[in-house]
Amino acid sequence: MQILSKSKLNAALDLLSRQAELFVPLARGEESGYYPWKSYQAGSDQLMLDALNVMLPPKGVVFPQTERIYSFTGNDKGVEIKESFENHDPRIIFGIRACDTAALDCFDDVFLTMGYVDSLYAARRENTTIIAHACYRPGDNCFCAAMGIDPTEPTKADVIIRDTGDAYIWESKTDKGDKLTAALSSLLEDREAATPEMQAFKHQVDYEGVAEKLKDMFEHSIWDELSQTCQTCGICTYVCPSCYCFDIQVKSWGDEGYRFRCYDSCMYPEYTQMAGGHNPRGDSRERFRNRFLHKLEFFKERYGKPLCTGCGRCIVACPAGIDITQIIKQIKEADTSAGA
Amino acid sequence: MPEHKCDCENPLVPGIVEVIDIKDETPDVKSFFVRSVDGGVPFNVMPGQLGMVSLMPVGEGMYSVSWQEEQEYLQFAIKRVGLMTDELHRIEVGQKLGVRGPYGNGFPVEECKGRDMLFIAGGIGLAPLRSFIKYCFKHRRDYRRIQIIYGSRSYNDLCFKDELFDKWPREQDTEVYTTIDNPEAAWDGHVGFVPAYLEEISPSPEGKIAVVCGPPIMIKFVLQSLEKMGYGDEQVISTLEMRMKCGIGKCGRCNVGSEYICLDGPVFTLAQLKKLPPEW
Repeated sequence: MQILSKSKLNAALDLLSRQAELFVPLARGEESGYYPWKSYQAGSDQLMLDALNVMLPPKGVVFPQTERIYSFTGNDKGVEIKESFENHDPRIIFGIRACDTAALDCFDDVFLTMGYVDSLYAARRENTTIIAHACYRPGDNCFCAAMGIDPTEPTKADVIIRDTGDAYIWESKTDKGDKLTAALSSLLEDREAATPEMQAFKHQVDYEGVAEKLKDMFEHSIWDELSQTCQTCGICTYVCPSCYCFDIQVKSWGDEGYRFRCYDSCMYPEYTQMAGGHNPRGDSRERFRNRFLHKLEFFKERYGKPLCTGCGRCIVACPAGIDITQIIKQIKEADTSAGA
Repeated sequence: MPEHKCDCENPLVPGIVEVIDIKDETPDVKSFFVRSVDGGVPFNVMPGQLGMVSLMPVGEGMYSVSWQEEQEYLQFAIKRVGLMTDELHRIEVGQKLGVRGPYGNGFPVEECKGRDMLFIAGGIGLAPLRSFIKYCFKHRRDYRRIQIIYGSRSYNDLCFKDELFDKWPREQDTEVYTTIDNPEAAWDGHVGFVPAYLEEISPSPEGKIAVVCGPPIMIKFVLQSLEKMGYGDEQVISTLEMRMKCGIGKCGRCNVGSEYICLDGPVFTLAQLKKLPPEW
């Protein structure tokens, strides 16, 4: 098998960074997320390959927080589309975990299937190579297995690395992975190493049957209690690796401008506020319910998998202590007999 | 990071159309007739489908296409209710707009062939239904009796008056019923809300398809009335509205349950609606 010794990690990252824009998990000040390796500052940044999850998910690599769609000139005389944007730059995500690759799987479902291909996403996605980092020691808030994910075999990975202590096992999975393997050949060794042992999950979550049970729980009183503490701040959607909702807005000056998209959040009232005043999800309870039903029921109905990959970020980020695993538990335990 | 010009089709980029005519329908509804700057219509639509109209730089909004006249023009009847429509109501003939589409499933015009048609609309809700009504008249022999029940706040607020009072009632085997919410000195027609008027007229469900559009509250009451009158869930069709941004089932906001109004709708049968949460 191929092995990348940890002593050669920085050299490998430097080499990969010359192949493409390389994103790695870094702690930077009080934040942590996936940042370009070339922006790494020794001393203030810290490489976070051992951390299970950095706070911000890597979704921005394929789905940036803001992204231009097209530019235009326009006034009362005429309108012209000047340029339609698309980004084909090669990118590599290094060290992404199985929960986050599973979230990319959800993104692929949304942006590449069901009638339309989102060309902005497709261009970035096609040019992104994924080097995933298999997990063997689940963290305090991890529950990916409960959501149907094997943390040791990340999906959508072009290469999987497995930490053996002083080295990583390097497993290429695709043609894209083979290309990177070839580029790194001078740094890889060919020797045997023991695959790490999987540790038990600390957090027990049972999602079995929840999507089906929720079909009859839209009007259930449980949503009153569960949503009571939610401040609809939207941080859960921002840190979520699988939340993809976006807004389309315009930036203009004089007769010129561009239309762009940016992250949106279903927790905000404006999200569904219609001109004329009608808002089908005007109160926080309705928005809260929609978010969890989307995660646990609606997405599964549409795409065959839940829109939660068990990364646990929202549990840490929520200022009100709302915990999706507790919500799953309470749904499981809820009385759905008539009148409940 | 550099961004490259691309040759591929981005579904979010509109085509450019010119406004060739504008017609005042009511004090706050105008019809905009648009034609592609390259000539012809920007795309072909089926009755009930939607188009995303953009006015640079103000914004972009989703509207039902109230009619496609062959390859001549698309007509959008748009009510002034907010920022974007306010600006739209100020444009003049010759203005260029962006339009992308067609979006949504549209009305099941084929499945309705050979049936009696009952159209029930309130306010600007007639705009989407009008495309189906005109389609029926265009293919008159494919459909049987046509009944149209339409109400608005006041006489002034009734859309498409020339068709409502002049053209449609003269069509073969067609009845048009209009109502307004409150009495007016010059109005000798029916006064009252649409659901009550519907129950008063009480069209028999036999061999009939009912198509409903209006404010959400009107739709909900009309659906109840139709059920009470014996209409089956497959005999009732409605077209819904939600806030939309992308139009292609990606951006998330127009969901009702697991369905997206822009892509899976906006047209649903009552049978389909009953399987969805009542969140519209």
